[in-house]
Amino acid sequence: MLADLQAHFPDAIEAAAEVGRELRLRVSAASLLDIALFSKEKGFSYPADITAVDAGPALHVIYRLVNLDTGQHLVITVPAPRTGGRVPTLSRLFPGAEWPEREVYDLFGLRFDGHPDLRRILLTDDWQGHPLLKT
Amino acid sequence: MTQTLTPTEHVILNMGPQHPSTHGVLRLELELEGEVIVGCRPIIGYLHRGIEKMAEARTYPQILPYTDRLDYLSAASNNFAYAQAVEKLLGIEVPPRAQHLRVILLELNRIASHLIFVSTFANDLAATTVFLYGIREREMIMDLFEMWAGARLTQSWIRIGGVGQDIPEGFEDQALQFCRLLPQRLDEYDRLLTGNRIFRARTEGVGILPPELGLDYGASGPTLRGSGVPFDIRRAEPYDAYPSLDFQIATHPTCDCMGRYLVRVEEMRQSVRILQQCLRQLPEGEVIAKLPRSLRPPAGEAYGRVESPRGEFGCYVVSDGSPQPARVHFRAPSFFHLGLLPRLLQGWKIGDVVAILGSIDIVLGEVDR
Repeated sequence: MLADLQAHFPDAIEAAAEVGRELRLRVSAASLLDIALFSKEKGFSYPADITAVDAGPALHVIYRLVNLDTGQHLVITVPAPRTGGRVPTLSRLFPGAEWPEREVYDLFGLRFDGHPDLRRILLTDDWQGHPLLKT
Repeated sequence: MTQTLTPTEHVILNMGPQHPSTHGVLRLELELEGEVIVGCRPIIGYLHRGIEKMAEARTYPQILPYTDRLDYLSAASNNFAYAQAVEKLLGIEVPPRAQHLRVILLELNRIASHLIFVSTFANDLAATTVFLYGIREREMIMDLFEMWAGARLTQSWIRIGGVGQDIPEGFEDQALQFCRLLPQRLDEYDRLLTGNRIFRARTEGVGILPPELGLDYGASGPTLRGSGVPFDIRRAEPYDAYPSLDFQIATHPTCDCMGRYLVRVEEMRQSVRILQQCLRQLPEGEVIAKLPRSLRPPAGEAYGRVESPRGEFGCYVVSDGSPQPARVHFRAPSFFHLGLLPRLLQGWKIGDVVAILGSIDIVLGEVDR
């Protein structure tokens, strides 16, 4: 899978590592959609999880796609600025991404371009700030 | 004679947050055309306690009791997913006896949770007697937990590296007795509920979930297996003692509420098989790995994954090398299933809402976290 991805996206993959069942990639927000679409067609069709980590200088959005036939996990990390960051939504590819993306927006303030319904989800609509950002 | 057409408007109906069949605090904003559902907006967060944020200010062992409060009907699976993630970070091996004891906890909890499902699902569909029967059987499991862990619901008994303590004297006999009794009781449920005409009319062919749609929405567990997809983490990514155990993955091809119900009932029978094997071949040895007094996992990330009664329960932990994790995230199956609900309700009648919502068996504690 890694060789396949590197052949198709020679410039997009900034870092890659294989750890057990996991293939960990770091890609830019601009190439996320293409890589996700390619991976879905290659059998990574189960969106197990989407979350984010405040990694100091930047936010990391973490996507976990699982191939149910081979059991391999594709863990894609997309860095984004801590304030005013934007990442394309995966909800057109995986409608199940809609809610976890809302959660990342709610708790980290990161916006997802093209999201059909980007509102807060766990906190009330009038909440100020994004609690999972580190101070 | 001329007829004038009056424009019709959709009616917005609020269901919850205090509706008895929402099992916790959930509000559904239903958009109706007559009695047909054309839209649904679930409103969640009523139970949000900020557990992921709190975890960043606690040491690794301190976080464990918080996880019980996520899916409170299956505390053991939450404990396990978290413990597994931390064990991966620390690189610890769990002793064989502990692995078997953890499977016993997980499977007892699965049966307890499915009994609550059968009870409340039947109750929501007006079969009140089954509710009383299901709770009666579940009580036996609660007694076993109490005997072993001292707590009934939030046991915190799966720990980082093993379990809290070894099973007490008499536990094996009492657990095996339960294993003998439960299949008989399940036969009784079948006679009482599964063949019941009213129950069947309200569940068969209702709330169709095509398998591809389920996958696109990140559905898992009995919700997905009720659509014929044999995805079960106990098989796909086996943990602890599961590789050495003989059991079948229950699936049902009908994609409806009945299919999801039948999968859970069959899973209880399979859990009994697993329990019997574990209790009979329990290896001797330690029940928890030796750990340093202060846990400081090396910097890195790990994902713990367990087949909870509701589906894939995941726990993503990021360590920066300090005694507190940099990030803890819980991937809750109910969160994904509730995201799927608006799509699942589309086009069904208002009277089907309770059946369809009941069939995905959500727990709001893990949705809101």
